[in-house]
Amino acid sequence: MLIPPTQISPDWISAVLNAAQTACRAIPPAFPLEATVAVNPFLGQTGEDLATASARYARVAGASLTRPRADYAAQIAQSRVTDDDLAAALIACRSPLKPADLALLKAKVTVEGLASPALPTVADLGAENTGTDWPALIAKTFGLWAAGHFDRGQALWSPAPGQGAFAAWRAWATYDLTPEIAGLTGFCAHVAAAPDSAERAILRAADRLGLTEAASETAFHRLMIDLGGWAQHARWLLWQAQLEGGSDATLMDLLAIRLIWEEALLAHTPQIQDQWLGVVSAHQMPVAPTADQVVDTILQDAVERAHQRRLASLLARPAPTDGQQTPKTRPVLQAAFCIDVRSEVIRRALEAQNPAIETVGAAGFFGLPLGHKAHGTDQVAAHLPVLLKPAMTASSRAPAAAEQADRIAARAARAFGRFRQAAVSSFAFVEAAGPLYGAKLVKDALGWQGSVLPQDPCPQLEQALSRADKAATAAAALTAMGLTSGFARVVLLVGHGASMVNNPYKSAYQCGACGGHSGAVSARVLATLLNDPDTRAGLQSHGITVPPDTLFLAALHDTTTDTVTPFVDIPCPDHAADLSRLDDWLGGAGHITREERARHLPGATPQTVANRASNWAETRPEWGLAGCAAFIAAPRAMTSGLDLAGRTFLHSYDWQADPGFATLQMILTAPVVVASWITLQYYGSAVAPAAFGGGNKLIHNVLGGIGVVEGNGGRLRCGLPWQAVHDGTKLAHDPLRLSVMVAAPQEAITNILTRHPDLSALFDNGWLHLFALNEHHIAARYRPGQGWSDEPPIGFAA
Amino acid sequence: MILPLSLFAPLALLPVAAWAVVQPGRRPGLLPKASEAAALVALALATAGLVQLWHGGPAKLTLLDGPIDLSLAFDAVSITMTVLVAFVGWIVMRYARTSLDGERREGAFHGLMLATLAAVLVLVQAGSLLVMMVAFGVIGVTLRHLLLFYPDRAQAQRAATKFAWVWHVGDGALILATLLLAFTFGTTDLARLSSAASGGLPWLGHVAVAFLILTAALKTAAFPLHGWLTEVMEAPTPVSALLHAGIINAGGFLLIRTAFVVQASPGAMAALVLLGGLTALFGAVVMLTQSAVKTALAWSTVAQMGFMLLQCGLGLWPLALLHIVAHSLYKAHAFLSSGAAVQAVAAIRRPGAVAVPSLAAVMKSFGLALVLYALVAALFTLIAGPKSPQALALGAMLIFGVAYLVAQGLADAAPMALTRRTGLAALATTLAYFSFQLAAKEVWGAHLPAAPSAGPLEWALIVLAVVSFGLVAFAQALFPLWAHHPATTGLRVHLANGLYLNALLDRMIGGFQSAKSR
Repeated sequence: MLIPPTQISPDWISAVLNAAQTACRAIPPAFPLEATVAVNPFLGQTGEDLATASARYARVAGASLTRPRADYAAQIAQSRVTDDDLAAALIACRSPLKPADLALLKAKVTVEGLASPALPTVADLGAENTGTDWPALIAKTFGLWAAGHFDRGQALWSPAPGQGAFAAWRAWATYDLTPEIAGLTGFCAHVAAAPDSAERAILRAADRLGLTEAASETAFHRLMIDLGGWAQHARWLLWQAQLEGGSDATLMDLLAIRLIWEEALLAHTPQIQDQWLGVVSAHQMPVAPTADQVVDTILQDAVERAHQRRLASLLARPAPTDGQQTPKTRPVLQAAFCIDVRSEVIRRALEAQNPAIETVGAAGFFGLPLGHKAHGTDQVAAHLPVLLKPAMTASSRAPAAAEQADRIAARAARAFGRFRQAAVSSFAFVEAAGPLYGAKLVKDALGWQGSVLPQDPCPQLEQALSRADKAATAAAALTAMGLTSGFARVVLLVGHGASMVNNPYKSAYQCGACGGHSGAVSARVLATLLNDPDTRAGLQSHGITVPPDTLFLAALHDTTTDTVTPFVDIPCPDHAADLSRLDDWLGGAGHITREERARHLPGATPQTVANRASNWAETRPEWGLAGCAAFIAAPRAMTSGLDLAGRTFLHSYDWQADPGFATLQMILTAPVVVASWITLQYYGSAVAPAAFGGGNKLIHNVLGGIGVVEGNGGRLRCGLPWQAVHDGTKLAHDPLRLSVMVAAPQEAITNILTRHPDLSALFDNGWLHLFALNEHHIAARYRPGQGWSDEPPIGFAA
Repeated sequence: MILPLSLFAPLALLPVAAWAVVQPGRRPGLLPKASEAAALVALALATAGLVQLWHGGPAKLTLLDGPIDLSLAFDAVSITMTVLVAFVGWIVMRYARTSLDGERREGAFHGLMLATLAAVLVLVQAGSLLVMMVAFGVIGVTLRHLLLFYPDRAQAQRAATKFAWVWHVGDGALILATLLLAFTFGTTDLARLSSAASGGLPWLGHVAVAFLILTAALKTAAFPLHGWLTEVMEAPTPVSALLHAGIINAGGFLLIRTAFVVQASPGAMAALVLLGGLTALFGAVVMLTQSAVKTALAWSTVAQMGFMLLQCGLGLWPLALLHIVAHSLYKAHAFLSSGAAVQAVAAIRRPGAVAVPSLAAVMKSFGLALVLYALVAALFTLIAGPKSPQALALGAMLIFGVAYLVAQGLADAAPMALTRRTGLAALATTLAYFSFQLAAKEVWGAHLPAAPSAGPLEWALIVLAVVSFGLVAFAQALFPLWAHHPATTGLRVHLANGLYLNALLDRMIGGFQSAKSR
C-alpha cells in the first residue's frame, strides 16, 4: 500500500471539509427549465481572472475558456482586430508570462495552444486499465437515480419523498445491481457499509484516496464537474434555500456519492494506485495559468477591445438628435422597454414611426418585487431577478365560477393524463384515443395549434398597498426608468415574452428580469398602480406630477413574432384616438423589427419569421439574447438613431437627475450584474459548449420537468443548447465579455464599486469591462484593479 | 386492371434519396423541401390506392413468380399500413426539414430517412415473405446508419451495436422461417401460404411459425431482448418518431400477414399470449419509474407492442392491427412533441395536490367500470352481434384500465364536478374503443382469421391474462397508497433498471467496454 494508511487529524478534517465547501461554491447554480434564467457559469471564479479560471477549468473539466486560436487569427486576418487592439491588450495584461512584444504575440496566434485534458478521476484511470467504461457507468447509474430523485412530476412512480440525497442514494445503490453486473463486485455491500452521513463519507473517501489538504479542492471540483448538471441543480437547491435564509446539503451529498464511487473503484483496481498518486500531486499544485492560457486571454481581450473601438466610434458619430435639440414638446408616446438586447431593435423601430415618440429602458420587472399566482393555480411564481425575493403577491383570478370551472378542467385533464401514463390504463388509452392523434399530428405539423402567450385576467395585488406605499412604489419605479416629468398622453409599459411551441427552453427566451417569465404581469401591475388616483395624488409628495390625461398602458412584446399587444385593463374612452394611432405605430415597428431579425435567422424572411413561433420542429425560434456584448446606462439621446444591432442592453440613466447616485447604484448592482450573467452564460456556452452548454437540441431528452439530458440519459445538461449560439455554419453569438458603459462621473462609479466588493471583483478580475461616458465619448476606461485611465478615448485617433 | 398507385409510393421517395448522395452536407439547397414533397407525393399515392381499393377491390402485383417469389399485395390490410406509414412519413419529413437545418450531415439524414421510409413502404405492401425479408434487411441497415447519425457518441455506438445484433438475428430467424415454409408449402407467397395453412401444419410448419414468432418478438422489442429500443434516443427526434411509429410494429405486421399460418399453431398462439402479456405488463410497470420523457415513451412502446402481440395470440387480429394504427399515431405525436414536457410537468403541478382514491373508492370504481362495461358490451352486442370470449376478455382488461379513471374521480378529495368529468371521460373512452374495434372488425375482419374457438388451452390463457391485468390494474389504482412504502424501495430500483436485462445484455456484447477498447 503506497498511500499512507491514514492522514486523519483535526486540521486535515477541517481543511478537507473546507475544500469541499469551496468546491461546492465553485459550481454555478442551474435553474430548472420551467423558469430558467441565465447564470454566470463562472460565478464561483469571479475572485480570479479569466486566465486563472481557464487554468482551473482545464484541470477540472479539460475545458478552455477562450476560443480556438484559429478564430482569433481569422479576425486578425480580416482586420476586425487591429495591431492596436492587440498591443493594447498586451500592455493591459499583467501576467509575467505574457509575450514580450507584439510580434511574439502575433506569432503565437498562428499556433494552437496545447490542449490540456482534465486531470483523470479514479474512474478514468480504472477505465484505461480495465477497459470497462466506468465514467459512463457512473453517469448512467447515477443519472438514473438522480432523474428519479429530482423529478418534479414526469414519472408516476417517484421515489419516496422527504429523504436527503445521500440517504436516498444509499437506499438506491444498495439495491442497484448494475455496477455489479458491469464488474464492480461488492459495490452494493460497499455502499451499505459506507458512513451514514455525507461528511463522514467524504472524509473516509478522501482519506482512502490519499487526498491532502492542498489537493482536495480541485479534486473535489473535478468530481462535481463529472456530475455535470446534477451538481448545478443541487447548487440551485442551495441557492433557493439561502434566498429563504436556510441551507441545503444536497450538493455535499452528491460529492459524497461520487467519492464513494472513487473509493470503491480504487479498491477494485489497486494497480492504478501509483498513477492516482501522481494525479493527487498534480491537484496539489496551485492553480496558475500557463503561458498559452495567458496568450489566449490576451487575444480574447483584443477582440473585445476591437468591439469596444467599433462601438465607441459609433457612439462618437453625432447622433441625429434633432428631436432633442428642438425646444422640447410633449412626446406623442412614451414607451418603457426592458433592457434586454432584443428591445433595442424594436425601440429603434418604434422611434422611427414618429420623431415625437420617446422610449426608455429599464429592468423588465420595473422594480416590482412580485410573486404571481397565474390563473388557475395557487402556486406562486417569482417574477423578479433571481437575486431578489418576492415581497408582494399578485394574482390573476377570473370570476369565481369561471376560475373554478377552469381548475376542474385542469384537474380532469390531469386525471386523463395519469390514465394515459398508468400501467394498464395506457393500453385502453391507446385503443380509445390513439386514432384521434392523426388529427393532432396534422394540426401540429402545419402549425395550427397557435402559440399565443396566455392572456390571464389582469393581475391584482393580494394585499392592497397603503396610499403612501402606492406612491412610494410608483415613485421608485418611475425614478428607476428616469421617467419623472414630461409625461405623454400615453405611457406604454412594455414587458416581453416569447411565444413558441414544443421547446424545452421556452422560459430561457422569456424576460430574465422577471425570473424567466413573461414581463406582462409586472407591466400590468405597474400600469394599474400608476393609473390609480391614490397613487397619482401621492406621487406629488415625491415631486412627480403626472398630468391627469396621462394613461399608463401595459403591453407585451412577443419577441418571436415582434407583435406588441397592449392590455387595455381599464376603460379609457378619452384615449380611443391615441390607442388607434398606437396600434399603427406598433404594427409598423413590428414590421421593421421582423425585417431586421429575419436577416440573421437562417432560412427566414420577414414574412415567415413569425411562423417560427408556431413551428413545433423549430430549434431556433429566435436568437434570444445571442450577440449581447455591451451595456449602456445613459440618456437615450446618446444612443438614439444608432443601429446597435440588438447587441446592447440599454438602461436609461441621467446622472444629473440622480443627486445621491442611488439609481446608479441600483443599476450597477442589479441590471449590470444580471446582464453580466447573461453575457457570460452565452460566453461559456459558446466557447466551451461541452462544459457549459446544453448540448444538441436534436437529441435532447427532457427529464423530470427540470432539464434535459442528451440521448439515453446520464448527465443533466445545463447552459444554452448549441443551436442557441450557433447557426449551423458559424457562431451566432460572438463570445465577448460585457462592456459596461455608464454616463456618470468616475468618482461616483468608483464610490459604488468600493462599497460593493462583489461587484468590483467582476470588474477588477476582468469579467466585465467598465467605461465612463461623457456626452458621446468614452471618457475613461476602468483598468482592472488599477482604477481609471483617461488614456485618449479609444477609437478616435484616426 | 388499373395498377394500384399505392404500390408506387416507395418509388416516389427514391429519387430524392439518391439526390442526397450528391448533397449529403449542411444546408443542401432545396433537398429538405424536396424530401418533404416526396413524402407528400408518397402519401398522395397511398391515398389514391385507398380510393382504388374502395372502387376496384384487392389486387396483386407479381414481379417474379416461382421459387423466388417477388410480389406486392394490395388489400385492406396493406393499404391501411401504407397510408399509415406514408402519413407518418410525411409528418416526420416535414419535421426534419426544419429541425435538422444546419446539421453537418443534413442532406445524408434526409436521404437515409427517405430510404428507410421507402423500405418500410415496400415491407407493408409485400406479397411474399421474400419481399418482407429483403425490406427488413434494408431497414436494419439504413436505420443503423441513422442511429449512428452522431457517430462520435459512445452511447450511440452502443445502441446501434445492440440494435444491429437484435435486428439481424431477427432477420436470420425470418430467413429460417421463410425457408422452412417454402420447403413445407412450396411457396413464400403470403396468400398461398394462408390458404395452404388452412389444412393444418406439418411439424416443420410449426417450427417455421416458431421462427416467425421469434422474428416478431425481436423486432417488436419484446421481453427479454427489449433493451435495444429503450436506448436508441441517440438519434435526432424524427428518427425516434419514425422508429416508434413505423418500424417497431413491423414485427406485428409480419404476424398479421401470416395470421392464417400462425393461428394454425395453437402452441405458437399460447406463446404469443404469454410473451405479449408479460412484455406488456413489464414494460408498462417499468415505464412508471422513468423520469426522462423519451425513455418513458420507449418503455411505453415496449409495453404497447407486447399488448399487440397479446392480441395476436388471442386471435384478435383486426384489433392488433387497430392497435398498431392507434399506437403509431399516438407515439409519433408523443415523440415529436416531447419538447413540451417541461411545460406539461409544470401543468401537472399547477392545480395543486392530486386527490388520492382510497381502497373503498377503488373497489367502487372497479364495480362501476364493470357495470359500464356490461352495459356498453350489451349495447354493442345488440348492434353488431355476439363477441368471442377472447374479445370479451380483452374488453375486460381494457375496462380495468378505465376503472383507474373512474377511481380518480371517486377520491374523497375530488369535488363533484371532477367526478362528473372523469365519469364522462370514462364513458367516452369506453364508447370510443368499442366503436373503433367494431370498425376494425368491419374493415379488416374479412382478410384475417376469426379468433379460434376457445378450448381448454385458450380458456386457461384468457383467465391468466384477465387476472394478471386485473391485478396490475388494481395495484395501479391503489398506487399512491403503496408506492412510497419502504418495502417497495428495492422493487422500484429493480424495475427502474428494467430488471437489469439490458445490463446483462450489455455485459454479453461488451456494452460496458470503453469505446477504444472494443
